[in-house]
Amino acid sequence: MTYPAERIRNFAIIAHVDHGKSTLADRMLQVTKLTDDRTMRAQYLDRMDIERERGITIKAQAVRMPYPAVDGQEYLLNLIDTPGHVDFSYEVSRAMNACEGAVLLVDAAQGMEAQTIANLYVAIEAGLEVIPVLNKIDLPAARPEQIAEEIAALLGGDPTDILKVSAKTGAGVVAVLERIVERVPPPVGDADAPARGLIFDSVYDAYRGVITYMRVVDGRFVHGMDVRLMATGFHNEISELAVISPEPMPIDALGPGEVGYFTAAIKEVDHARVGDTVTDHGNPAAHPLPGYREPTPMVFSGLYPVDSDDFPDLREALERLRLNDASFTFEPETSVALGFGFRCGFLGLLHMEIISERLDREFDIPLVTTAPNVAYEVHLEPRMVAPNQPPVLAVSNPADLPPPNRIDHILEPVVEAMLLCPSTYVGAVMQLCEQRRGDLRKMEYITEERVELHYELPLAEIIFDFFDKLKSSTRGYASLDYEPAGLRRGDLVKVDILLNADPVDAFSTIVHRDKSYEYGRAMVGRLRELIPRQMFDVPIQAAIGSKIIARETVKARRKDVIAKCYGGDVTRKRKLLERQKEGKKRMKSVGTVEIPQEAFVAALSVGGGD
Amino acid sequence: MGPGLYLHIPFCQHHCGYCNFAVMTGADDAFRTRYIAALKMDLSAVAAGGPRAVAPPGADVAPEWPTFTSVFVGGGTPTLLAPSDLAGLLRHAREALPVADDAEVTSEANPDGLTADGLSALVDAGLTRLSIGAQSFAPGVLSFLDRRHDREAPLRAVAAARAAGVAQVSLDLIYGAPAETARDWAASLRTALAARPDHVSAYALTLEANTPYAARVRGGAQAAPDDDVAAERMAVAGEVLGAAGLERYETSNWARPGARCRHNLTYWGGGDYLGVGAGAHGHWQGRRWWSTRPPARYADAALAGGSTTAGSEILDDATRRVERLMLGLRLVGGVDRAAVDPVDETALRDLVSAGLLDEDPDRLVLTAAGRPLADGVTLRLLPG
Repeated sequence: MTYPAERIRNFAIIAHVDHGKSTLADRMLQVTKLTDDRTMRAQYLDRMDIERERGITIKAQAVRMPYPAVDGQEYLLNLIDTPGHVDFSYEVSRAMNACEGAVLLVDAAQGMEAQTIANLYVAIEAGLEVIPVLNKIDLPAARPEQIAEEIAALLGGDPTDILKVSAKTGAGVVAVLERIVERVPPPVGDADAPARGLIFDSVYDAYRGVITYMRVVDGRFVHGMDVRLMATGFHNEISELAVISPEPMPIDALGPGEVGYFTAAIKEVDHARVGDTVTDHGNPAAHPLPGYREPTPMVFSGLYPVDSDDFPDLREALERLRLNDASFTFEPETSVALGFGFRCGFLGLLHMEIISERLDREFDIPLVTTAPNVAYEVHLEPRMVAPNQPPVLAVSNPADLPPPNRIDHILEPVVEAMLLCPSTYVGAVMQLCEQRRGDLRKMEYITEERVELHYELPLAEIIFDFFDKLKSSTRGYASLDYEPAGLRRGDLVKVDILLNADPVDAFSTIVHRDKSYEYGRAMVGRLRELIPRQMFDVPIQAAIGSKIIARETVKARRKDVIAKCYGGDVTRKRKLLERQKEGKKRMKSVGTVEIPQEAFVAALSVGGGD
Repeated sequence: MGPGLYLHIPFCQHHCGYCNFAVMTGADDAFRTRYIAALKMDLSAVAAGGPRAVAPPGADVAPEWPTFTSVFVGGGTPTLLAPSDLAGLLRHAREALPVADDAEVTSEANPDGLTADGLSALVDAGLTRLSIGAQSFAPGVLSFLDRRHDREAPLRAVAAARAAGVAQVSLDLIYGAPAETARDWAASLRTALAARPDHVSAYALTLEANTPYAARVRGGAQAAPDDDVAAERMAVAGEVLGAAGLERYETSNWARPGARCRHNLTYWGGGDYLGVGAGAHGHWQGRRWWSTRPPARYADAALAGGSTTAGSEILDDATRRVERLMLGLRLVGGVDRAAVDPVDETALRDLVSAGLLDEDPDRLVLTAAGRPLADGVTLRLLPG
């Protein structure tokens, strides 16, 4: 059944993690009778195991819900589910651009969080009609009146006009659907223009190739049409055109305002990138839809197989993951300490965790992941630049930073961070931001109790444990969102770690000069705890260039020989020796120092922490 | 040097906490008698089978036994047997196998209950050497180790052995118990030396799995030994025993010239030996085997004329080289390169430059600094 544009409503749900977005979506599926008790499962729309387990949405989703409204008409409601994490803010913005309205779902006990507000701003920028809804009003801790005031202060409007629901019990859900029908404008598009559709998600499927989710803006897409992806230039015939309701359902055509997916024998998601425009190859649109952006990795890390024999398998696994996720990059690199591996670029830390977890879970490859770092723009000392050499280097691996005398200055990426917290914690938040070299840009009281702080912060200062520190210093009440804000000059140095006078490249880090001693001392101290005693003393040093800034020693082991080895002990002792020899293969040798894999992992996993 | 014969007597008065040997407490006279009979029967059966039955299948081995140059009765506590029973066992060994007239014949002994008369009976049966488990002369350490004899008992035992004409007397000592102080250890060494033993074995206390001591450590009732402390005590042992004219010849063994334990040198040199008795191990030309460990099951099998072998392995050349390296490095004289090559040459150079191995193209010999680290050195030298 096709719907005229005036009876289509496309909307997203903006909510913080745990504020009940997936539960509300589940309830909407039940109200519109797309699922019954038998087929229902919790978080119906979250497909990946990781999504269900972590309670977050990584990939966007779209579900088509026919809804008979109180006015007697049947409307087509398209719920476009958006990712809920700052790492995926670009994907959020594309999903929003595929909608005309957004439900702002706020936990009536927790209130607004920075991430929600950030996404709310994205929705307002995209011109969406925002429908605020308070969830979990059945909880004893709910403070609906107070939270409603906060929302009204932010959005304008009457606090008493804000809908109140319990997604858990289903109370108030119909009113939300009615409000969507009433307030969200119908899509506007030119049905006769050359076809244009906005890609808001693409997912790799081993059998069908890439499944591309789009919102049709102009014209019509029909089964069998030769479609072109305007940014990548890839084109092929549509082999499957369908909507999700809530299981896939083939459809002959999709017109303006409609949402669905197609397959066209696309081999990897890189060809059908989020934000790209789909058009008719035979009758192409003159201009793509605005807003396409190449994905840019922000956080980098080296991934190394624990067992060097796994290197080809790791390459294959990364290639396969990339079929499904065009936003991460990888290229081979070599580490003296870790052997062959890949330098990978991610959108953010969560993205990095998800990729490592998928490698472990889906491909079963044990990995050593080096401490995450950002990409630096290194301006070389003009007198030290050879004639054919570029004067500026992009450095995404700290080990690649040239020696200090060759560097004129270094630029590091910064972010515009928004922090939201109860006013009692403003001091703690400001102290943390100052420790992390932040510049306060703006401070605003949303209400008397809630403060919005804007800081410019070096990205490197927040990728590691900033979020945890923020949470612990505000008892979990502060929240954070950020977006890239260009490059800033920083007084940065590389700290190398030397074992037995050999530098261990995997431990090299770029830090601010003021923090280099502290970092060096902490890392050296930690390694002294982690490295087992060897046959000889192992000095551990931290150095900037040739200057040693910290030193510890792992004292030599003094005795390991077993006391008795007589006739009955030989077999047992030899077998122990053979087991130890096997264990030795899992040691990483740095010069003559043998480091158990676990020590490497432990040292790196606490990377830039303090 | 010919092959050796090991005989195992599992009986003890009680189980000392640290011990993981095949021991049995509470056996009555009837069972002891039954066990001795079984042991003799098993020994006769092994002897009758000839060397080809214990060597790897198809090995180039003469059909007749070569002459045995050592007999070692270990335990357990062999001297818990009536002297006549133990003497009878020694005679039986000489009847069953060709044992050289001048063979070294050792028995282990606890310090308690040794009399000159009883020991004379053993000397008459060919005993030449007594190894007495003194362990310590510090009461606190003896108690930590569950040893029930008093600190004078080992000295009385040495005197009894001398009186009975035992040619060589050895004392066993254990260092590094958490209850032991540096002074305790120095005093124990001095007391042991005052008894003028021909031989001293000084062992670092080792936490073995499946012992009462290990259970107490897990439960927090006793502390585990500390390797750094053990290294210090080992160094002190080397100095004190060396100054008294005892030469170190193995990681844990010192002897006056001419008093090294021939039987144990067979083990460390990769030589052949028969092991008879519950849980005893044997080695012949690259085959290792071991007997059923529970004494009752061992005795049942032996008396029924069945096999007492619980398991065996044939060592390939590479494995034999690993064993030669592992055992040979324990000897103060080291091991011939030819017997153990190939080794990891890079590791070898590192170890020499770290001062743990002598620079010697023909032999691998640990330095004094390398001696307590023999196991790590062995591991590093293993090729591949």
